[in-house]
Amino acid sequence: MRVISRRKAIAFFITLSSCVMAAAITLNISWVVLNWRRLGLLILGIIFFGIVIAGLVLNTIFLVREIRRNEQQDSFLHAVTHELKTPITSIRLYLQTLQSRQVDEAQRHEFYRVMLSDSDRLLNTVEHVLHAAQLRHSSNKLEDVVDMERLVRECLEEARNHHHLSTESLRLLVAASEGDAKVTGNKEELRSAITNVLENAIKYSGEKVDIQVELSSGDNVSVRVRDRGIGIPRADLKQVFKRFYRVSDREVARVKGSGLGLFIVRSIAKKYGGNAFAESEGPGRGATITIQLPRAV
Amino acid sequence: MSRVLIVEDEEHLALGLKFNLEAEGLEAEIAGDGENALKLLLPADNGIDAVVLDVMLPGINGFEVVTQLRNAKQYVPVLMLTARGRPEDVLRGFEAGVDDYLSKPFELAILVARLRGLLRRKQWASGAHPQTLSAVPAGTEQQETFAFDGKILDLATLELRLKDETVQLTVMEAELLRHLIRNEGKVVSRKSILEDVWDLREDTDTRAIDNFIVRLRRYIEDVPAKPKHLLTVRGVGYKFVAQPK
Repeated sequence: MRVISRRKAIAFFITLSSCVMAAAITLNISWVVLNWRRLGLLILGIIFFGIVIAGLVLNTIFLVREIRRNEQQDSFLHAVTHELKTPITSIRLYLQTLQSRQVDEAQRHEFYRVMLSDSDRLLNTVEHVLHAAQLRHSSNKLEDVVDMERLVRECLEEARNHHHLSTESLRLLVAASEGDAKVTGNKEELRSAITNVLENAIKYSGEKVDIQVELSSGDNVSVRVRDRGIGIPRADLKQVFKRFYRVSDREVARVKGSGLGLFIVRSIAKKYGGNAFAESEGPGRGATITIQLPRAV
Repeated sequence: MSRVLIVEDEEHLALGLKFNLEAEGLEAEIAGDGENALKLLLPADNGIDAVVLDVMLPGINGFEVVTQLRNAKQYVPVLMLTARGRPEDVLRGFEAGVDDYLSKPFELAILVARLRGLLRRKQWASGAHPQTLSAVPAGTEQQETFAFDGKILDLATLELRLKDETVQLTVMEAELLRHLIRNEGKVVSRKSILEDVWDLREDTDTRAIDNFIVRLRRYIEDVPAKPKHLLTVRGVGYKFVAQPK
């Protein structure tokens, strides 16, 4: 409801500004018509009206931008509150349970496992938030020529270990290519981009993980990660890279996330002159996320 | 044994709550989203005595679940869990018909105590003895009835008996009416209602109370638009008059 009323407010103020601008322009024209014989007044009038109109335009732009920023901040708070508070609530619940009740050995180990996974989730959110904040101020991190094939292999190995996956369910395909798949960039940032895409693919795959990663290099080096998970609706293919954007779908709501992962991925790709995009044949039919980076010569 | 339904989409939280409620000697079930919760709760003979309900659920949210329950005349006590804990959320919950709330992260002991409070009322209402509730000493709360102008408020069963019908109140409606009756003839400010009935200590938009008053007026006034018992004191709050002249 609040979003709708805010939309209305934006619409109202934009209409108001356009009306005032139209009025100013009309006055300006009338001034020109009325005073076209007197050169001095004419020029003076045009300058003053010009200032007024420019001021109005700037003001409107500023207003709209501020409202947008405010909206973003709201959805950020909403997402982050949930993503931070839920694991904390869970960890506290289990700690208080252990503190106040008799818990048998097996049960206790299960509780430890749950708490560890919740603290992982917490750490993940915190890292995402910090990372996204860092990306805004482009820091001068060490840039290097990175062998993408090796890096992708490392990331895959790590993901397999972390999620206990077999080589078949998360496999790598290296396309034959002229030259090495090398790019210029910070190795850790590139790693984080690849890992984010992999984590997403695993997260949205559900029970049966079947992910294929393709590495190919021509003018660009591209890493394509294809999953057979819940997919992305056509209308959301571009949106998913926006900060804090999450597809509003029941299946998606079951999977937890801060809405920052793909934003980070694309920011990193763009930082090194590349890009990232998503393809999907629709909900339920899997998605392919591609990271494209210029090949280092 | 009392049966509690936990409506929570976070699996860890749901399982942790279930473990604790079972350790308290309660039977606990889990519903992962609003649809499943409604499927379990809407049948009249569901056998569920209380609900722990998360607000942020996939699909239909917690507020919507409660609204639908109350519309279907299901008055099972509901304890709401909110992640944000903002007064707007809490008040919206009460407006929808929630009986009590806790914000996340909550204290386990408090959650259990509040849940027991709700169960106690429910058991009184169904005429069972509250002896199964080990943690609560018997008789901590007196059975209370208030009579005014031919109407009887029975706090034990949460019923409002009128001349020719009986209205089932939610816990919070009953608490608000009791608070007003106890302060009969005095002006009760909105702020004091928020503090004493809802336990909210924030400056907040108090229109949710007005909605409650509107509902109560519909129950107890002959002409709700021209109240005789529940009077508005402009700019301050409300006043309850038992015997209007």
